[in-house]
Amino acid sequence: MVITGRVPLLLLLGLVPVVLRPSGGTVWMWLGVVAFVVLLDWLLASKPASLSFHRPPVGTVRLGYPTSTTLTVVNEGSRGLRGIVRDAWQPTAGAVDNRHRVRLTPGDRVLLTTPLTPVRRGDLRAAGVTVRSYGLLGLAARQQTRVVPGTVRSLPPFESRKHLPSRLARLRELDGRAAVRVRGAGTEFDSLREYVRGDDVRSIDWRASARNRNVVVRTWQPERDRRVVLVLDTSRTSAARVDDVPRLDSAMDAALLLAALAARAGDRIDFVAGDRRIRSRLRSAGSRDVAARLQDTMADLQPVLVEADWSGIAGAVAELGRQRALVVLLTALDPSAVEEGLLPVLPALTRHHRVVLASVNDPALAALTESRDSIDEVYDAAAAEQVLRRRRRTGELLSKLGVDIVDADAEKLPPALADHYLGLKARGLL
Amino acid sequence: MSTSWVRRNRALLLVGGVLLLAVALTVVLGGGPARSDAPLDPDNPGPDGAQAIARVLDDQGVEVTVTRSADGLEDTVVDDGTMVLVSDPSALGESTTERLLEHADGEPVVVLTPSPLLIDELGLDSTVNSASIPERVEARCDDPRFTDLTLEVDLGVAYTGDDGCFGTGDGSLLVTGENGVTLVGSTDLLTNDRITDGDNAAAALRLLGERERLVWYVPNYEDLLAEDSVSLRSLLPDWIVPALVIVALATIGLIWWRARRLGALVTEPLPVVVKAIETTRSRGRLYRKVNDRAHAAEALRDAAGARLADRLHLPRAGHEQQLVRDVARHTGRPEEQVAALLTPAGGIPTSDHELVRLANDLAALDREVRRS
Repeated sequence: MVITGRVPLLLLLGLVPVVLRPSGGTVWMWLGVVAFVVLLDWLLASKPASLSFHRPPVGTVRLGYPTSTTLTVVNEGSRGLRGIVRDAWQPTAGAVDNRHRVRLTPGDRVLLTTPLTPVRRGDLRAAGVTVRSYGLLGLAARQQTRVVPGTVRSLPPFESRKHLPSRLARLRELDGRAAVRVRGAGTEFDSLREYVRGDDVRSIDWRASARNRNVVVRTWQPERDRRVVLVLDTSRTSAARVDDVPRLDSAMDAALLLAALAARAGDRIDFVAGDRRIRSRLRSAGSRDVAARLQDTMADLQPVLVEADWSGIAGAVAELGRQRALVVLLTALDPSAVEEGLLPVLPALTRHHRVVLASVNDPALAALTESRDSIDEVYDAAAAEQVLRRRRRTGELLSKLGVDIVDADAEKLPPALADHYLGLKARGLL
Repeated sequence: MSTSWVRRNRALLLVGGVLLLAVALTVVLGGGPARSDAPLDPDNPGPDGAQAIARVLDDQGVEVTVTRSADGLEDTVVDDGTMVLVSDPSALGESTTERLLEHADGEPVVVLTPSPLLIDELGLDSTVNSASIPERVEARCDDPRFTDLTLEVDLGVAYTGDDGCFGTGDGSLLVTGENGVTLVGSTDLLTNDRITDGDNAAAALRLLGERERLVWYVPNYEDLLAEDSVSLRSLLPDWIVPALVIVALATIGLIWWRARRLGALVTEPLPVVVKAIETTRSRGRLYRKVNDRAHAAEALRDAAGARLADRLHLPRAGHEQQLVRDVARHTGRPEEQVAALLTPAGGIPTSDHELVRLANDLAALDREVRRS
């Protein structure tokens, strides 16, 4: 039972009879009258259970962009209903103005639209719809909360999108559409065209020239239709925050940039995310909208505080196909986690694939080594040096196994990884 | 000069005089002097006591019983041969007055100089007449007991009433109510030093010697209940308490109205917050806790050596001598000094101070090599 602000006002009105007839009896009589009227009003309020709700799927939205959810309310009861409907969402869904006044005659239907502005990545859920149905006098109300499922998927922001145009320009240079031509092992035959001055004489195709009136050269294009497997580690090391951004989010950014670039270069992209078990996977996305599909796949991934099961993840990578691929491990270069989990399975991976490990470097470590004013700071600096030394050793160990290391700050990791990919492509190492 | 001063301050003097009079009246009406040696007590032989009249009544054959508490009063027998006297009613409260009237049960009760509040509680509708009283007051009433008597009083108050004796114009010094309660407006009738003036003694004896027995009740403050005192409540309008109850009920209603939420508060599933640097800092604190200077110094030297080797394009491990030589050449420092800094040959720092100095020297060396 819910009362409205009119009840205290009605109680205050009892001052009049009390002044006219001052006694305790008057007070209790007035209280009785008010209680009776309120109870009567409550009994007369129509039941919220007579409403039925339906919510169409909200869909996806980019983080920080506005969208809205629509709730269809139908009065299936035999009496009219006047009241308030609150469509509650979890706070980061940004559901403001979610209280709607409704006045429904029997059989009436109304659409209630609540604006949403997600401020957090992932699937954000509706918490429940609360109906408060007022009585005829507006003194009391019945209230009920019902579960009406709803989810808005907030996509990772893809902040490194700004690096895409410059990397695409470099890709076009590799593609042979620009003036600079690249030749070398691993490149593929593309087409024949007429010789122009400046072309490498070694690329003249003599047989074709013999059949033709002009001198003809072969052109080459960088290899296409390679596979890129992005492996996203969602284990405990991905939960660690660098400048208050989880490693996982920085890794996602890097993965998105690389996927967008590789898709333009004509490669196929597979994606696996996991820790102790595989969280999500995406197969052979070679189309242009790979970034959007990848965003959708990664949207609800959250760091989990468990150790990664690298043999399981390596198995998932193997399941994606036997064809040689560029396997990008987006994880942390954390000595203990790498030595105990990743190292045993690496030989199997490097035998079939080219492996790159991309890790977010913490600038706080370097800062820690530099401040040496007090004894506490010196011990911290010694500890940081120790950690850096172990990281370096782990990196050297991985390099010996044939793994490339891309270790950069959160901001610089996506372009660094993209550049590394372009470098491999230019050298025909995919 | 003096006349003009009086004339100028006429208003102030008037107000002052009225205030003084009001204070005097309050003192008089408030129940007389409040002295500790019990005025008008039947056992007080002093000027303001009433031992004389008690003795005379006793001699005249009236059985005088003195009781000093409400319980004692209820132990005495009050029948149609008894009269009750309250000579000093200043300690009479609401509850003790009720007990007095209940016990008297219609038999005559004489009360001296009651306050207006007490008159009300005694069940009389008389009020106090504040007009001044002449020194000599004649009976001027039909009561055969007082027909030819004249009182001489200094202080006293008159009460309004239909059939009073010793009238003073607007009221009377002696008023009897329908329930047998008699009010006497002056204490001069009973006090030892005034009883002999005029016909005071005769009036007192005829008033109090009417019955065979006289119960002389001296009220006691200890018999009063807590609520007998004059509280703020009696000065406020009587609807104030029910109105406060109404306001309290409305406040409860207000709280109920505001406290009920429109659905439960929605909680956010919060992400875990793990700072990447946290483990490194903990390691630093561990070193600090056990004062592991050896380990810390080794880590610092090792890191500095590796960094310098990178800068001078030397292989990292296993070429200590060459590194020391190159660094010494680059910076122009003696080789021994560089070796003491970079290699374990420099020894383990023996105090925190030395460790801090070593750390800063290594940093300075690094800066020097970078600059050169």
